[in-house]
Amino acid sequence: MAQATKGRLNYRCPSCFMRDLDIDMFYDAGKQEFYCLRCQFVGTEEQVLKMNELVRIRYKDMHKRFQDFEDFSEEA
Amino acid sequence: MEQFVVNIIHRPEMVPEYAEKVTGQGKAEDIGRKALLTESLDIFKLQQQCAHDNGLKTTIQMTYASLFNDEAVALAKEHHRIYGDEIALSLLGLPCEQFRRKYKTKDFCIWMFSMEDKKAIVRDVFGKFYERFGFYPQSTGSYYMDAELINFIKAEYPSVKCAVATCWEEGPKAYHTCNNSWYTFMDGGPWAPWIPSKQNTHAPAANEEEDSGIVAIPHLSRDLLACYDGNGSNFGTHPQNVLRGMIYDTETWEYPYLYNLIDQYRSLAKYNNGYAYNMMFVGPGWMNKMGRWEAPYELLKKSYWDGCAYYGKLKREGKLLDMTMAEFADYYREKKTYTEPECALWRDILYGSNKQLFWYCDPYMRAGVNMDQGGAIFDLRPYAAKLPWPVGIGTPHVQDASYPFLIQEKYRAGYFTHYAGEGTIRSAKVCHNGEEVDLCLCRTKAHFSQEGSNRILTLDPVEIAFADMTVKLQTVITFAEGQSNIRIDRNVLEMSDPDARVTINEYMVGCYGTTEYTEDMTSLTLGVDEQSLDYAYRCRELSAEKAREAWCCLPPIKTRVSMTCQGRDSVGYVKEGYAFSPMFTLGYTGTLKEKEGFTTWLKLQKAD
Repeated sequence: MAQATKGRLNYRCPSCFMRDLDIDMFYDAGKQEFYCLRCQFVGTEEQVLKMNELVRIRYKDMHKRFQDFEDFSEEA
Repeated sequence: MEQFVVNIIHRPEMVPEYAEKVTGQGKAEDIGRKALLTESLDIFKLQQQCAHDNGLKTTIQMTYASLFNDEAVALAKEHHRIYGDEIALSLLGLPCEQFRRKYKTKDFCIWMFSMEDKKAIVRDVFGKFYERFGFYPQSTGSYYMDAELINFIKAEYPSVKCAVATCWEEGPKAYHTCNNSWYTFMDGGPWAPWIPSKQNTHAPAANEEEDSGIVAIPHLSRDLLACYDGNGSNFGTHPQNVLRGMIYDTETWEYPYLYNLIDQYRSLAKYNNGYAYNMMFVGPGWMNKMGRWEAPYELLKKSYWDGCAYYGKLKREGKLLDMTMAEFADYYREKKTYTEPECALWRDILYGSNKQLFWYCDPYMRAGVNMDQGGAIFDLRPYAAKLPWPVGIGTPHVQDASYPFLIQEKYRAGYFTHYAGEGTIRSAKVCHNGEEVDLCLCRTKAHFSQEGSNRILTLDPVEIAFADMTVKLQTVITFAEGQSNIRIDRNVLEMSDPDARVTINEYMVGCYGTTEYTEDMTSLTLGVDEQSLDYAYRCRELSAEKAREAWCCLPPIKTRVSMTCQGRDSVGYVKEGYAFSPMFTLGYTGTLKEKEGFTTWLKLQKAD
């Protein structure tokens, strides 16, 4: 089995990203999967991208455009 | 009229940070690879084009490596002539074959070198710059510039008037995010431009005598809430930082957060006598052709263009002034006095929490107030000490350039602790018939006002519910310019039982340090008026009725912190911590009736 390489893009481990760790994953061409050196995450590119969408759950206002930074009137 | 100033800075970094690691994966290290040099210059050209096409001038910070490149030098001269860009000199981007041959090291952060090497490198780099351009630069910078380095540069090259001198809250958090491999420890500084003191870069100068002679600007304008509890490199006026944070829509490639961040900075003009500031400084490594942080090159390029386009739009609308760094230094000197504070009432613009913070910075302190915790002070840096803190090889702090804290609620806990002990916070408890409510649990919002030289935060009243009574209480926090103290008023507006009394316990739990890990507390002395005790982790207490002050002296950070009080039945006290809770507490208790107030002042002084 040949050594792992970086993937097409430097995908980070989504599991580590959720705990504020930026770690590039490596790509195992034989198994067609990315894996994390630090934690136990293993996944295909599709699974990584899906997990990256979950990462964004914390950003509830990611799509919102603010007009007034002292206006909290929307707050219940 | 409000003025919003932006500095846009580019550096032709011939061996961009990350690029060798990213594009060179699978190859032996070779920082002289032609492909790397060519790509880097191409990125620099693209960045310049993005700014110029949007009508913005830039500051070109030449790197040491780029001074050996004729094309980079020619480009800088041409863009200075055509667009009015400033040609400046960065102390970033040192790595190149010439540097490594000469200094025989792979170190590249100027503040981490020995003082002897700093001087040699500065003379070398400034000399090379003069050789190529025929003048010395007016602006320079790095991720961090220690006071000794700034003082040396100013003495040798008096033309320097502006420098990039810190990254806001880049410290242990960045280190952890980078898998404990990114050694930029520089927490505790200002988030907006300031005049560094000669003693400590992070601590602003209080007067001409302390003035280092330069105006410092932060590396990027960072989210004042998100960066405090997360990776600083995800939340700044750096479009690719926003991509790194995954704060964009993967379908549309849109990132409203970037514009919200810029706009919230614009809004700070109302707290700072009509002035607000932004800085954008993207190194070429962030626009690598191979893509970065899951983002393809096309998205990296689009985001940089969009960032410039937004600043350009604001400029066309008359809402932005683009300046070079040297122009900004002159503007700032004209606009600000030494003691004028920097204030920021800041809200969460990302997580949907509606949390609101207030940041205050002047030559005597930096303080953070959290309205979601009833106006508790969650971060406090005693700049009054003007703590000498040399950094680099040969000093006690090779990497750690952070200004020490007295309070840091993330590193040393805040209100919440596990099982036992206390965390650092400045808050108050209201007590009645055996019940106790900490204001840290009373979520509210604040409004800013300025009366003379006082900056005042008036919090919306909170309701405290006891079993048999409710109390409506309002907090007002006053920062008096140049006074080195924080006044806190607690006013009881209403009580459901108008004849009742409540007890108030105003307290500050503190310690000192720059990281999460505790320091030796045994050199501290605690006292109430003339009574005192030497810290020995023995859980002791002192108190006195109508005490003049409760105080703590911290020799390792040359700081004396004290609390004074005005109110009914006041008793001042101090508490020593213990091994499982290595903190100290200063406080006052007293009583309050309806329509009464209780006032305390937290004072910071240099300890002799």
